[in-house]
Amino acid sequence: MTSPSLRRSGFAVAGTFALLAAASFPAAAQPPGFSKMDLTKPAASGQDAKLRPHATPNTVTPGDKIPVDKVKLPRGFKAEIWSQGHPGARTMVEGAKGTIFMGTRLIGRVYAITNKDGKRETKVLLQGLTQPNGLAFKDGALYVLAINRVLRYDNIEDKLDNPGQPVELTDKFNLPDTIHHNWKYAAFGPDGKLYIQVGANCNVCEINNGTHGQIRRYNPDGTGMEIVARGVRNTVGFDWHPVTGELWFTDNGRDWAGNAGPEDELNRVAKGQEGAFYGFPYCHANGVPDPDVRIPNACRGVVLPAALTGPHSAGLGIRFYTGDMFPARYKNVAFIARRGSWNREQKFGYDVVIARTSGGKARLSPFLTGLLDEGKNEFHGRPTYVHQMKDGSLLVSDEQNGATYRISYQGRTAKKK
Amino acid sequence: MASARRLLRPPVLGLAAAFFFPAAAAAQTPTLAERIEACGACHGVDGNSPMEKIPSLAGQPELFIANQLILMREGVRPVEAMTPFVKDLKDDTVVALARHYAALQPKPSGEAADPALAARGAEIGKTKRCDSCHLPTLAGSAQIPRIGKQRIDYLIHSLKQFRDSPHPGADTIMSGAVAGLSDADLAALAHYAAAR
Ligand code: HEC
Ligand code: HEC
Repeated sequence: MTSPSLRRSGFAVAGTFALLAAASFPAAAQPPGFSKMDLTKPAASGQDAKLRPHATPNTVTPGDKIPVDKVKLPRGFKAEIWSQGHPGARTMVEGAKGTIFMGTRLIGRVYAITNKDGKRETKVLLQGLTQPNGLAFKDGALYVLAINRVLRYDNIEDKLDNPGQPVELTDKFNLPDTIHHNWKYAAFGPDGKLYIQVGANCNVCEINNGTHGQIRRYNPDGTGMEIVARGVRNTVGFDWHPVTGELWFTDNGRDWAGNAGPEDELNRVAKGQEGAFYGFPYCHANGVPDPDVRIPNACRGVVLPAALTGPHSAGLGIRFYTGDMFPARYKNVAFIARRGSWNREQKFGYDVVIARTSGGKARLSPFLTGLLDEGKNEFHGRPTYVHQMKDGSLLVSDEQNGATYRISYQGRTAKKK
Repeated sequence: MASARRLLRPPVLGLAAAFFFPAAAAAQTPTLAERIEACGACHGVDGNSPMEKIPSLAGQPELFIANQLILMREGVRPVEAMTPFVKDLKDDTVVALARHYAALQPKPSGEAADPALAARGAEIGKTKRCDSCHLPTLAGSAQIPRIGKQRIDYLIHSLKQFRDSPHPGADTIMSGAVAGLSDADLAALAHYAAAR
């Protein structure tokens, strides 16, 4: 496989990036797509060595076990179960005819959820894929991005019962064939290009900046690759600000460097800063040099985040709200689903927060809470993505319970749900 | 190379068909006991596999077994030999099978573990933190498998898969854990785990 970096063309590299790149890669060039061994040193972190990712069930959660009654929202908002029985619920995109397509990781399915007479019908549209987390919809076609595969299903909403063979675009997109942190997030930007993440192939290591730790964009057919952001450890959610058109993305910080962080990030790609460097692996969060991969002046030239989003909180899906249902103060505010920590003794996240952006900065506040029992240090659900429905309500997917919650605004006078 | 054909894998019968539910009539749904008998032909009647490169299931965490059976059913982790046994499995049967094997006693296989190799494996395991996920006893928990007392030949086979091929369906963290290790390192890890 040739290095896609050789094919990059015509994007603006932030001036500082070139400087930093020169300083950071004195070692011999690695083969394309190759990441050096992981440099994680958990023993030095002082954390409980038995911490490990929580299991995601692949079986259906019975309706009476779905924790919607635990969900707390600001006054006037209401949560209800919108769909259920689809284990591994993660990404959501809506087709032109109203189908909600849903991506998953481990279970390898893509679901199609339709609305019939006020009831949801869920079908397994595709199965046997390797972590098809990346979904995008354009001109009637569903783009499905599994780990290192890109497929396009034309006129999909007319073929939900039998999607047939896809157009295979894998070779055109030529993504690196490493798998760790390479379950995809993908979305079409306002420029009509398909934006795709390529995560760092490790917890923390020197990566080949030409291939890993990026957000890229492509023409829908896989041509014209450009690098939009570098030094991004692993973003699995982004969206464009409705007014400025700028790209905002969540990014998951490294593990095994302490319970306190480095915190996860909310970042912005400012206009004209395409190709800028966001710090991985040398500089994390608000300017924290990495304890294991050390270089002098680790944070020089690094674009620091617009906001910190909490230690190990795992901010995934982000969606700017443009609907009319919620009160005006929610217009253009970003909703961020935080799946919740694993590499932290006291669990953190498991919620949806809002980010009010202003200039290059953002301020966070809670929105959907109640799925984490801090006293018992237990969680009931894991919000992963948010989707705005046509009526202005918000869908939140819960990966742990294979369900979605519909959040609607009932008005301040309405009784709390 | 990458082709749409990977998406819809035809069920492959092959060798496995010979064992296919000996006691069950083709049209009937086999009972749990009949299924377990069929599994036992490869995985051992007591869940401890006597067969080369076939993993022992005894004492595996219930969730790990259930996850893997679902991944095989869905075609995410395609195992040709297993296809006929998993393709019609419902979630509740999956859970019942998993519960059965989780409750059985794991026993070391007859393979000879080399103490020198095992000692080297223990050192590598320390730097790679195998025990943070698989637990210090290597008995696993929840979605993370027992690797203690597992067959050496299967462990080597499995570790190579994680390292060399984008292991379908696997939790990608395992590929991260063994990235960059040599064949000799993997063999040492296998001897270390099997001996626990
Ligand atoms: C024809 C032989 C055969 C039969 C019968 C069979 N299996 Fe397997 N099974 C295998 C092989 C071979 C593998 C290892 C696949 C690999 O190399 O990844 C396996 C793997 C597994 C695994 C994954 C274990 C691990 O450690 O990764 C589980 C769980 C499992 N089988 C359960 C069952 C159950 C339950 C049945 C009966 C319903 C069954 N098998 C019947 C051959 C068989
Ligand atoms: C961060 C957690 C983590 C670490 C560290 C880790 N593992 Fe794993 N391991 C897993 C998970 C999760 C699985 C299940 C993979 C899957 O879902 O397919 C697994 C699976 C395995 C398997 C397959 C067993 C089977 O029965 O199929 C082997 C062998 C294994 N690990 C060995 C090791 C060794 C040796 C090390 C240290 C070098 C190690 N692991 C480090 C999480 C981990």
